[in-house]
Amino acid sequence: MKRTMRRSAIREELFGYACVAPQLLGFLLFVLGPLVMVFVYGFQSRNLLTGRVSFAGLANYRALLGDPLFFKSLKNTLVFTLGLVPLNVAASLLLSLALAGESRVNSFFRTVFFAPVVTAAAAWAIVWKFLLQGDQGVVNQLLGVVGIAGPNWLLDDAGAMAAVIVTRVIKNLGMNIVIYLAAVTNLPHELYEAARIDGASAAQRFRTLTLPLLMPTTIMISIITMIGSLKVFDHIMLLTQGGPSNATMVLVYYIYFQGFKVFRTGYASALATILFAIVLGLTFAQWRLGKRLSYQEE
Amino acid sequence: MKRVLILLLALCAATAAFAQGGAKTPVELRFTVWTGNEAHLQMLNGIAAKYTAAHPGVTVKFDTIPYDDYPQKLVLQLAGSNPPDAGWISEANAPAFVAAGNLADLTAAAAPYDLKDFSASATELWRKGSAIYGLPFSTSPLVVIYNKKLLAAAGAKTPSELEAKGQWTWEAFADLARTVKAKTGVYGFQTMDGSGYSDNLWATLVPMIRAYGGEVWNGKGVSTLDRPEAVKAVTLLHAMIYKDKSVVPPGEQADFFAGNAAMTVSQISRVSKLVGADFQWGLAKLPKGPAGDAQVIGQAAIVAFKASKNAALAADFAAFMTSKENVAVMTRFFPPARVSVLESESFTKGNPNIPPEAMASVVGAALKVGKILPNHPNFSEIDLAARACFDRLWRPDADVKSVMAAAARAVTPLLK
Amino acid sequence: MSRAKALRAAGKGLSVAALSVAGLPFVFPFWWMLTSAVKSPGDVFGRLSLLPSKCRWDNFAEIFSYQPFARHYLNSLCIAAVVTAATILLASLSGYAFARVRFRGRSALFLVLLSSMMMPAEVTIIPNFFMMKQWRLIDTHVPLVILGVFGAQGAFSAFVMRQYFLSMPKELEEAARIDGLGRLSTFARIILPLATPAISATAILTALDAWNSFLQPLIFINDLNKFTLPLSLNNFRDAYGSPVWHLQMAATAVSVIPILLFYVCAQRKIINAMVFSGMKG
Repeated sequence: MKRTMRRSAIREELFGYACVAPQLLGFLLFVLGPLVMVFVYGFQSRNLLTGRVSFAGLANYRALLGDPLFFKSLKNTLVFTLGLVPLNVAASLLLSLALAGESRVNSFFRTVFFAPVVTAAAAWAIVWKFLLQGDQGVVNQLLGVVGIAGPNWLLDDAGAMAAVIVTRVIKNLGMNIVIYLAAVTNLPHELYEAARIDGASAAQRFRTLTLPLLMPTTIMISIITMIGSLKVFDHIMLLTQGGPSNATMVLVYYIYFQGFKVFRTGYASALATILFAIVLGLTFAQWRLGKRLSYQEE
Repeated sequence: MKRVLILLLALCAATAAFAQGGAKTPVELRFTVWTGNEAHLQMLNGIAAKYTAAHPGVTVKFDTIPYDDYPQKLVLQLAGSNPPDAGWISEANAPAFVAAGNLADLTAAAAPYDLKDFSASATELWRKGSAIYGLPFSTSPLVVIYNKKLLAAAGAKTPSELEAKGQWTWEAFADLARTVKAKTGVYGFQTMDGSGYSDNLWATLVPMIRAYGGEVWNGKGVSTLDRPEAVKAVTLLHAMIYKDKSVVPPGEQADFFAGNAAMTVSQISRVSKLVGADFQWGLAKLPKGPAGDAQVIGQAAIVAFKASKNAALAADFAAFMTSKENVAVMTRFFPPARVSVLESESFTKGNPNIPPEAMASVVGAALKVGKILPNHPNFSEIDLAARACFDRLWRPDADVKSVMAAAARAVTPLLK
Repeated sequence: MSRAKALRAAGKGLSVAALSVAGLPFVFPFWWMLTSAVKSPGDVFGRLSLLPSKCRWDNFAEIFSYQPFARHYLNSLCIAAVVTAATILLASLSGYAFARVRFRGRSALFLVLLSSMMMPAEVTIIPNFFMMKQWRLIDTHVPLVILGVFGAQGAFSAFVMRQYFLSMPKELEEAARIDGLGRLSTFARIILPLATPAISATAILTALDAWNSFLQPLIFINDLNKFTLPLSLNNFRDAYGSPVWHLQMAATAVSVIPILLFYVCAQRKIINAMVFSGMKG
């Protein structure tokens, strides 16, 4: 009896390994292996044009410390993230509250807000690039109708950053609305009834009930959006190419710039290592935060 | 789901087979170019067909990569597992590719085709030691193309008329553009291919800067963009864009070739776009400046890549393409670097869209005195760094002097 | 009473108006894309007009002759299909094992999976390039499929599947075992069919991710015939590299409309799937 138990346990184990093996081996080979390589490359001088590779020690990292464009890309990444995440979270929260409940109007607007999510990022960026052209651009012509003289969006430092952030928010907002909607639908009605009977105003109910109850969702959405905001390659590439004057040069685009535009793949690998460290830090923070929150819930 | 897996495996197998196969005859050479112009490609395919006739089993496929992505995509392809066999390289990137060592020496392949016929100045950029890594097929001066209809509507003289009187200066150029804008409401000037603020930045700046006696960088590794001559030239350009509003500004579309601007600076290869235009047009040399006549030449050569699986054949084809006959064929769009062709009628009569007098008095004359566009082993990076600085120039309140100073500061360290 | 009613109606009208204003930047790009798709080159810029003065249907024919656009479309569809199918297969297997099978090192291995979920593809693209070069897979679709399946999206899919399997009652498996079903057939015949919501959610997200992919085709694909749709859209440029806007808009419209129609038809299902994955993710 005992032996068969053990045998079945072993079979169970083998089944488990067999199930996870294909995917994990793939990760090992195509993600974790390359991750180690990127770390190694970071200590090398590599050039895609000449094909030359040599050991460089810490030279790439020293160069990084003296590279104003690296710091600019860090700052831009920060500005981009700080602009995108709050805007995205606040807008999706408000819209999900407005769209909660089943009605034809709500269902129509859900469709509207979600439409950009299913649109290819390249298509989205291309259309916006077109809309954001200087004086001839549609956005500026529309602004002109209401008497606002818009800047030459994609050629103005602040304008380009604002344009990149806002168009990106519009692109992905629908996803967050949907996630919020799920949480909003599950809010306990009894509590709201009780609060209403106690005479709490709508604003009070929002502050004391809705916000705290949605906090886990808000944190999750913030983290997902934040990590997503670190990966804005196609959007930047197609709208601004990091310009004007590197005003939208974010870290992912700078990696591409160094590796594939000026061919310094070693230096780009050092940059990629930094990006990895940032993502790792954020993931760890999320894990800690998630843990603390789930303890609170219990 | 099983079926899907099989599909996936089949896909892998198919691509693997594709990568392995095709080692023996027939051979297809892949040749990268940056033109997507139908007329150009038709001409190139014609030359390739002649080669196929002489070398049965060898065909050539011309692959278009847009000019702005060209060096980058090319390097990626050369570093990848499916490198092209031969292709074009422009003057700007010549030093980088020659120094990188991924071009094949064409000396032997070109030996039967009278290498000495190429003017020394035209091959200078492509030589290293005794080897020659590129055979120039185009030495094309920048010229002013103008719309006679628009100039007449504005009641203005044409650049050619001003040139004949010796009054064709950049100041006159600016006056002309201003007049056109004031009288017709149409822009007076569109920068090269409409991308003179980014991809074609140097084609916009260099002609003016040189005419004012300046230069973008000197031989000692110092950028001279901040010198008074360069600043003066660029100040004029800036005033044209933002004070006169006579130039198609950045971020706007108005195409010279569609009749929406009165002048453009371009190369004669673009003249084929004017076939069927509903306006008469003319050609003039670049205007003079305080420092006199400063014509500017763009150059491009045919190279064979070392990484090619058919390197010898690729080199042979590169040499064949720049033979006297084929260079003569290409004069239709690309002014030749071969002296014999340049001095022959096939040059002046080569482009059916341009009258022989204009070929001689504009293109030929500019070629004689012209200097090549800037180039450097580190060009890609210089270009990107400079563009980032010049982005600040393209706004009405820009301080030209400080932008130029910033550009010089950014470029100089990259010249080392 | 009637005043309250009127007030409510006014409030409702106001909220619809507010939503409409908020929705404008979401629909306007589509409207503009569709109308510009049938404009002539000269009409694309110039005076603001919400409708084209004259419809130039030729644009739609022209995009297919300008470059092998149909081929690019097909490439993208195939890649998305293969990536999605392979991802679902692998992710449901590993998700199930992580949820329901006991084996040593399970939590450690799960952590490995989670770590790749957050990893931007840009971090590893350089070694991936050299790797694919070594295997002579540059300029094929294989890297796009492989990196699509094993990238962050694959890990996320496995995670979603695992969360779903965790929520399923254990009694199902016990009943199946009593019926004499083996481990694998329990999974394939009993568990998997019940996981349709999770499968459709991951399928939609994975397909969108593969469909959107831009960096990888940019790096790995050279041959015009092997371009994917996003590359193709960016490649409607004239002989000298400037965008040919009217064709670009027409091509963009053609690339977006089918997906949009599919979405509008199946929107309830899609949004439910998203809600589901959102709750779990």
